[in-house]
Amino acid sequence: MSPTRITSLFSVGALALASLVSPARAEETVKVGVLHSLSGTMAISETSLRDVLLFTFDEINAKGGVLGKKIEPVVVDGASNWPLFAEKAKQLLEQDKVAVTFGCWTSVSRKSVLPVYEKNNGLLFYPVQYEGEEESKNVAYTAEAVNQQATPAVDYLLAQGVKKFYLLGSDYVYPQTTNLVLLEYLLSKGVPIENIGGGFRKDASGKIISAGKYTPFGHTDYQQIVAEIKQFSAGGGAAVVSTLNGDTNVPFFKEYAASGLTAESCPVVSFSISEDEFRGLPADKLVGQLGCWTYFQTIKSPANKKFVTDFQAWLGKSTVPGIVKDGRVTCSPMVLSYDGVYLWKACVEKAGSFDVDKVREAWKSGVSFDGPGGKVTTQPNMHLTKNVFIGETKADGQFKILKSFDNVYGEPWLKGKFTK
Amino acid sequence: MASPEKYAPPPPPSDTVAALLAFTVVAVLIMPTLDVFGVIDHFTLNLWGKYLCYALLALSVNLLWGGTGLLSLGQGLFFALGGYMHGMYLMRMIGDQGQYHKPIPDFLVFLGWTELPGFWKPFEHFSFAMLMVFLLPGIIAGVFGWLAFRSRIKGVYFSILTQALTYAGALIFFRNNTLMGGNNGFTDFKTELGFSLLEPATQRGLFIATAVVLIGVVILLRWLEGTKFGLVQRAIRDGENRTLFSGYATPAFKLFLFVLAALIAAIGGALYVPQVGIINPSDMTPEKSLEAIVWVAVGGRGTLLGPILGAVFVNMLKSYATRAIPDLWLILLGGLFLLVVLFLPGGLVSLPEKLRGLWQRFRPAPTSAPAA
Amino acid sequence: MRKTFIIIAALLAGFVAVYAEAPQAIIARAAVAKSEKAQGEILTELMGNADESILPLLDAWRKDKLFLFEAPGKPTMVVLLEGTKDSQGTQSAVDIISGKPAGVRLAADDLNAASHSANLRRIMKAVLDLTDLSSANPAKKLGAIAAIGQGQQSEKLPALEKRLAIETDPQAIKALREALALVRLKSPDPAVKLAALKELESLQSLASTDFVKAIIKDATAVKDEALLAAARSALQAVERHRTVVDFGGTMFRSLSLGSILIIVALGLAITFGLMGVINMAHGEMIAIGAYTTYVVQNIFANGLALSPFGFSVSLPGLHATGWWRESYFLFALPLSFLVAAGAGILLERGVIRFLYRRPLESLLATWGVSLLLQQLLRLTFGANNVQVGSPAYLSGNWIVGDILLGWNRVFVIGFATLIVVGVWLVLTRTSVGLLIRSVTQNRQMAACMGVRTERVNMLTFALGSGLAGLAGAFLSQIGNVGPSLGQSYVVDSFMVVVVGGVGDLVGTVISGLGIGSFDQFTQQYSPTVAGALANVPFVGGALQNLAQDSAVFGKILVLCVIILFLQWRPSGLFAARSRSLD
Repeated sequence: MSPTRITSLFSVGALALASLVSPARAEETVKVGVLHSLSGTMAISETSLRDVLLFTFDEINAKGGVLGKKIEPVVVDGASNWPLFAEKAKQLLEQDKVAVTFGCWTSVSRKSVLPVYEKNNGLLFYPVQYEGEEESKNVAYTAEAVNQQATPAVDYLLAQGVKKFYLLGSDYVYPQTTNLVLLEYLLSKGVPIENIGGGFRKDASGKIISAGKYTPFGHTDYQQIVAEIKQFSAGGGAAVVSTLNGDTNVPFFKEYAASGLTAESCPVVSFSISEDEFRGLPADKLVGQLGCWTYFQTIKSPANKKFVTDFQAWLGKSTVPGIVKDGRVTCSPMVLSYDGVYLWKACVEKAGSFDVDKVREAWKSGVSFDGPGGKVTTQPNMHLTKNVFIGETKADGQFKILKSFDNVYGEPWLKGKFTK
Repeated sequence: MASPEKYAPPPPPSDTVAALLAFTVVAVLIMPTLDVFGVIDHFTLNLWGKYLCYALLALSVNLLWGGTGLLSLGQGLFFALGGYMHGMYLMRMIGDQGQYHKPIPDFLVFLGWTELPGFWKPFEHFSFAMLMVFLLPGIIAGVFGWLAFRSRIKGVYFSILTQALTYAGALIFFRNNTLMGGNNGFTDFKTELGFSLLEPATQRGLFIATAVVLIGVVILLRWLEGTKFGLVQRAIRDGENRTLFSGYATPAFKLFLFVLAALIAAIGGALYVPQVGIINPSDMTPEKSLEAIVWVAVGGRGTLLGPILGAVFVNMLKSYATRAIPDLWLILLGGLFLLVVLFLPGGLVSLPEKLRGLWQRFRPAPTSAPAA
Repeated sequence: MRKTFIIIAALLAGFVAVYAEAPQAIIARAAVAKSEKAQGEILTELMGNADESILPLLDAWRKDKLFLFEAPGKPTMVVLLEGTKDSQGTQSAVDIISGKPAGVRLAADDLNAASHSANLRRIMKAVLDLTDLSSANPAKKLGAIAAIGQGQQSEKLPALEKRLAIETDPQAIKALREALALVRLKSPDPAVKLAALKELESLQSLASTDFVKAIIKDATAVKDEALLAAARSALQAVERHRTVVDFGGTMFRSLSLGSILIIVALGLAITFGLMGVINMAHGEMIAIGAYTTYVVQNIFANGLALSPFGFSVSLPGLHATGWWRESYFLFALPLSFLVAAGAGILLERGVIRFLYRRPLESLLATWGVSLLLQQLLRLTFGANNVQVGSPAYLSGNWIVGDILLGWNRVFVIGFATLIVVGVWLVLTRTSVGLLIRSVTQNRQMAACMGVRTERVNMLTFALGSGLAGLAGAFLSQIGNVGPSLGQSYVVDSFMVVVVGGVGDLVGTVISGLGIGSFDQFTQQYSPTVAGALANVPFVGGALQNLAQDSAVFGKILVLCVIILFLQWRPSGLFAARSRSLD
């Protein structure tokens, strides 16, 4: 028997175990979890949310914190790995005992941590537009529901005289559900089914149950789809409703522009491209394409001006490794993260406690915050009432606001609502 | 092709037996007991349960790579398939407690389905799901292995081909129209055989089950190593053509090993799902399989302890680093891996030997070597 | 208060309009109109007006350079800002109605630009279309003709006819005939309608599909048999033409995808041929090339500030403009080759040379390198994708018989050809190539003959990595530039190399084109095939929703076919012949 081998086995184990146990903390702080992907494919979008959260914590701490306690962020990397998200959520709740978590971007990351939050009665603030069809008492959805993004955008297009809609999305739950709702919505608005492009899903009996064209994550070749859209829009009056995920928009739009399609001949309304995504997109080729969010950086309000300037000033001083300081913009998921922190603060202060149940009661009772995108108000169904804006892309990657809808109530359950 | 390397013969049996005994005591008795008394929190025990599942995957990789010289970049496929088959049962057990409160899984509702597709129906029986945990990965491994070994595909070609297989699998499961949950996969499980998966006691039971399975697999592999079959296996690794020319039907041997490895990975996956609470196609991507190879390389391939040690160590490091240094952990992992491949080809298990060698070289007065 | 003024102003303006209101005044009136609808209606008055002052004003409006100046107690004035900016950023304001300076200096940031929406721009476009009919720019002219056709407004017929009489460009003539026919479909006279359908049939106009279908619907409702037959026959002709277009388009797309696959796999094929191992960091070499393009682009523009690991690095910019700025891409090509080749040399010297005797382990070591490089890129350039613009010479298209040929795609095809020929020349016509081939074929023998195999390894690896860098420069024109760029292509390039076989360029070319075509044809035709199989039990049910995700189905099928293909040729299409056994 070789004692060294066994010893090494145990010592390595003990070492790592010791490192897992977190040291005791001082009482003057409250721990808050930040659960975003800082590596892997989703780091593209989620890193910005980490940045804005750290900025918000600093801003709140500078003014004395929450209930007299400074916020102590616990940043973990979900690494675009969904089982790891569940593990990190468990770690935050069971070991770090965080009062609240701000995090997740993709639907699958939210779905993977949801059981963890329900089991431990934790509270997750979720800031990114999503498919709805979910209402957990352990999640505060600051995100846009489908009726705060997709249906207003379609209303706008219909008012602009668009007659044909091509539904295109990445193959995951958000586009699938959005397109399902949109199919019902468009039909209810009198758009004939042959004017809906992309393809249909049929059930075993051949009945149409949903619509849309779907491409996998990281898809790079949009030649055939763009050719199809070109034919679809040849007769005019067509628009593309795109729920393509951030990353795949670049090859899609580069192909789109190269094929000679423009915002005038066939506008694209995208629900997943915000100012932040434009940092990687050829904005000058996309002038006039539409976006629909509850915030645009171009909103002219003192609150927004202050938010943008303060955030950029904070970035300049930040020492977070690898943080990008130049050319940074703000976007809706970032603002909804920011609003989320302040709403949580307001709820905690209203409840007078960090206890999740009491904070939730405060949320359900209706708390408001005047954020950069205007006033947001919490709803009993854990969603938010907020303003919705439709904007079109300018050459500098910003949006020009064309239309706004005030105080839209967040409605998560839309499937079947428009079929009468 | 460069000539294949030679490996040290498997460690003496007493070594493995002692380590196995120590592990059995720790994993099956001490850790769960400590958990009951709250010395270890449930989170840690659950995390270790996940590591042990990964250890099974690592053993599967090692059986092919360390034992037979076949570097499969697709073992994650079988792991995930095992997980999916068990997951289908767990999904059926949710019943109507999903978000929609419908009798079919949520993802079918949001795709517009109102009825359960036919192939889902038998999975409400635990026994059927367990049968499928072995059957589906076994059949896929069998067919693929038969095709590949029959035409004598080997070396890098075999690696790339297994990668293509798992990549195709991932793409199929990413499709929502496959009706297997798409990108979200399966999650939000409630009960297993009537026990609530949220209960610490159930999780403890699953941990013990995983430990027992792992020990069983180790014993099986150890036994196999000692038989004549094990000898042929090593012969294939060290010189396949000579073995072939000596009259052994090497494709048949390799096929058997490939299927066996797939089954080990599948059990690992099946145990992984209820403990982690999610299975989705990202577990089938080639990167996941490559990660498993990293564990084996770091731990030490060609041994039984090495892969287990590597899986636990690398994942512990990952759990720790994604919390402590979220920006740099990928560099740490990549760097560690590079260092091991370059400077410690025997992996962690060879570390004591190496250190002893260094110690003996630089020690001024040599004394008698410790009895091995 | 202000509202009243506007209304009065609008009313007054309305009176003036009767007496041939100047186009400038109409535009000013539209700019201050309250609702988008009213704006649209006012602008419509300009239809057919050929006044040359319209274009610059509407252009300024579209570009947010038409401002509303609201002086207290006065009606809103519509102004343009001219002259240079002073220290407060103000410029001299010019009233558009009089065309004279308004006597104030204003800053663009303080003013609201006149609003416009896509709908309004469409009307502006329609106004300009009539002027554009005689534009010298062919694309503009064709766009104008098509827009008029789709509008189906009979009052524009004379303008189209007039143009057709003098038009000489065959493409424009065809477009004019199509537009005329489309407008005439709305004619109340059945004979004109029938003639229009005949015309569309002979033109095989894809754009007419929806309009003809609408006619069929109406004709079915009123049971107009003659019209129905004509419309059906027109539709059939169009659909026949569509089949041809689809096929031709698929051929072109196959070629273009194949070229991309060849470009990304070529470097890998060379190192694979030499070492017998797949370089897993190949994808990151591609990413390095793409990032080099990004850096070069920024140097030609306004410079670039990076902050890797907290250090601040500032690259100066050349502030180039015009064609000089657009030429950045031509400089980026050789640079991306050199940078990636340099990285390749580092990788070979630092890692791979220790592992030549352990091929499978070098596969793993390069994977470690790939993880490291990805995170390094992320820490240097940020986790976001970065923006690489396409120069004008890569962002247009030709349309040949309704088949779309994007310039970027044509360029990729041309360049793939160039690279393949170049590499072939290097390998067969230079002494370096001779050395590389000798080491690839028999390392020991080459070493015995005095070839310094170590150096050849390094050179080959540099060549392979450099080619990956070039591929990166190209991919920046087609897709994302981000830290995980390489990951999207790396599996594809493995497949191309494995199918192509070791050490033969021809193998890589054929396999790249083959895989590309297979993918594109599956994408185009699998929904049709699946539709035909709908009634086949089991298979039909599983395939019936293929139209929704034919893109991914193409990829899956390619992988399955590759697995089966290798049964037939276990070492790829062009295996190196050798009598040695292990």
